[in-house]
Amino acid sequence: MRLFWELCKISFQRQLAYRASNLAGLVTNLFFGVLRAAILLALYDNREVIAGLTQRDAVTYTGLTQAMIAYLHLFGVNNGLMNAVYSGEVATDLLKPMNLFPFWLAKEFGGSVVNLLLRGTTIMAAYALVFPITLPDNPLQGVAFAVSLLLAWQVSFAFRFLVNLSAFWVLNAQGIGRLAFTVSWFLCGFLFPLRFFTFVVPAIFLNYAPALYFLGQPDPLGLPAFAPFLAPFVGAGIFLAAMRFWQYGIRHYQSTGS
Amino acid sequence: MNPIISVRGLEKRLRVGKHHRGKLGLLRNLVTREYNVIPAVDGISFDVGAGELVGYLGPNGAGKSTTLKILTGLLVPTAGEVRVNGQVPWKERVSYVATIGAVFGQRTTLWWDLPVIESLDLLQHIYRIPPDRFRRNLDRFRELLELDPFLHTPVRSLSLGQRMRADLCAALMHDPPLLFLDEPTIGLDVVAKERIRSFIRRVNEERGTTVILTTHDLSDVEKLCGRVIIIDHGKLLYDGGLPDLQRRFGGKRELVVDFAEEYQEIVVEGAEVLGREGLRATYGFERDRLSASDLIGRLSAKYRILDLSVREPDVEDTIRRIYKERLLDA
Ligand SMILES: Nc1ncnc2c1ncn2[C@@H]1O[C@H](COP(=O)(O)OP(=O)(O)OP(=O)(O)O)[C@@H](O)[C@H]1O
Ligand SMILES: [Mg+2]
Repeated sequence: MRLFWELCKISFQRQLAYRASNLAGLVTNLFFGVLRAAILLALYDNREVIAGLTQRDAVTYTGLTQAMIAYLHLFGVNNGLMNAVYSGEVATDLLKPMNLFPFWLAKEFGGSVVNLLLRGTTIMAAYALVFPITLPDNPLQGVAFAVSLLLAWQVSFAFRFLVNLSAFWVLNAQGIGRLAFTVSWFLCGFLFPLRFFTFVVPAIFLNYAPALYFLGQPDPLGLPAFAPFLAPFVGAGIFLAAMRFWQYGIRHYQSTGS
Repeated sequence: MNPIISVRGLEKRLRVGKHHRGKLGLLRNLVTREYNVIPAVDGISFDVGAGELVGYLGPNGAGKSTTLKILTGLLVPTAGEVRVNGQVPWKERVSYVATIGAVFGQRTTLWWDLPVIESLDLLQHIYRIPPDRFRRNLDRFRELLELDPFLHTPVRSLSLGQRMRADLCAALMHDPPLLFLDEPTIGLDVVAKERIRSFIRRVNEERGTTVILTTHDLSDVEKLCGRVIIIDHGKLLYDGGLPDLQRRFGGKRELVVDFAEEYQEIVVEGAEVLGREGLRATYGFERDRLSASDLIGRLSAKYRILDLSVREPDVEDTIRRIYKERLLDA
């Protein structure tokens, strides 16, 4: 446990130290956020409500999803594990008496927290300055949002870990990573608050569910309100799958020639 | 004696993707998956007793690193049995690797962008090293490996020799009874090599750590290893002491002679002319047939000699001949 916190701390500090990249990321996320908001507003074309979302809700939605990009690593399925497997560097981790899943998790969690604090809140604050936005109107909603945000991270991590393990079988795991990214990005309701695709578990748990809590929207699919809190189970499911893959991968791992 | 490492009939076959060349080859690469299977380790057996320092030798591609990867639990062998310290390396990885130290010369086990000392701190948590033991070991290794000048430097900025020292320290902080070293002196200068060697020797003597090391530098072996295991093509060629190897396969002793004048005939009984260049000639002779002084006596009786020197066959030569002429092939 001590190790876990130490690793979190290190990754937190490291992410903080990347000032230029944090700033560049922030600017990019904001820019595309505003672009998306503008496109959505054009789509609304003076109608007040589309599919249960007001203009204000829709704009807030774009802000929320932009704010979560860095935190959930939506644009980076590759967390370095696939590279480590490819280059044989994973050996240095395997030589240490620790389980790799919590190890990699800790390695990323600290950085994600920085992303949430620095980028996430800045983006939302900037939105609040430029647009009228919807805020949670009771504390309970806020708590639900926070909890589902945390669960979203856990699902995101398990998913990425799983995808990274493909490096055990294919040389070009990055291709798989890009495919996985495209699919999850599309399905998690990032593009629009679309309701067609988001039922695809586990994508729903990424940024769609937290956003609904934030907006105080009922689930349009009629799923019960606790549904998003099933995330830990989904996360655990993916995790178990990842463990199986991991064991299988290790058994057949060849490492590299030198 | 109960061996601490016991290897029986170890085999590891590795699959290597086959690539076809040319335009048609590209297409074939795309649609088919063909493999060559390489027997990187092909039926090796040996035992190592506690406290031994064993050199694991062989030419490039012999299967040394592959063997060490199996012994450190990184690879699962295709066949064979391995017991190290009562455990099967690849079965219970986490508990097993807690009992070994390993340095793979080409890579670091430390965190690339952390200062050395912070990497060591992390290792303390990973191996759950009690603080006082951690202190004690750190103090000791700082002195022996002269770590102080770069203790606070990020690993990424270390020179090769510094990094190797840091890695050795990291591998031993938890007092493992076993140490696996894959080319620990690769790419180091003479002084750095010597420092690493004397460190390995000390660890072996003072702590009784069992060490297996691979190397291409035979002075490592001469200075450190009481025993050598030689493999090639994944097969065991020799397992025994270095003196014995020398006696059995060592080349001839050589006598280099500078004659005072040109002679047509320079043959002497009991020695063979290995080479001749101007006024200088080299004779080869065998220790148990002819002593150096006898040979010199015979020569000076026949010729006028300006200078001479005797060259003992060195391990390097012996090993080179073994690799090249496959002297040990069964
Ligand atoms: N990951 C791998 N995939 C495919 N083949 C491999 C792999 N690793 C090693 N080999 C092959 O197995 C054989 C043994 O390799 P190994 O690395 O064990 O040799 P080595 O004795 O350590 O050589 P060197 O002295 O060059 O380090 C070689 O023929 C090598 O090409
Ligand atoms: Mg090697």
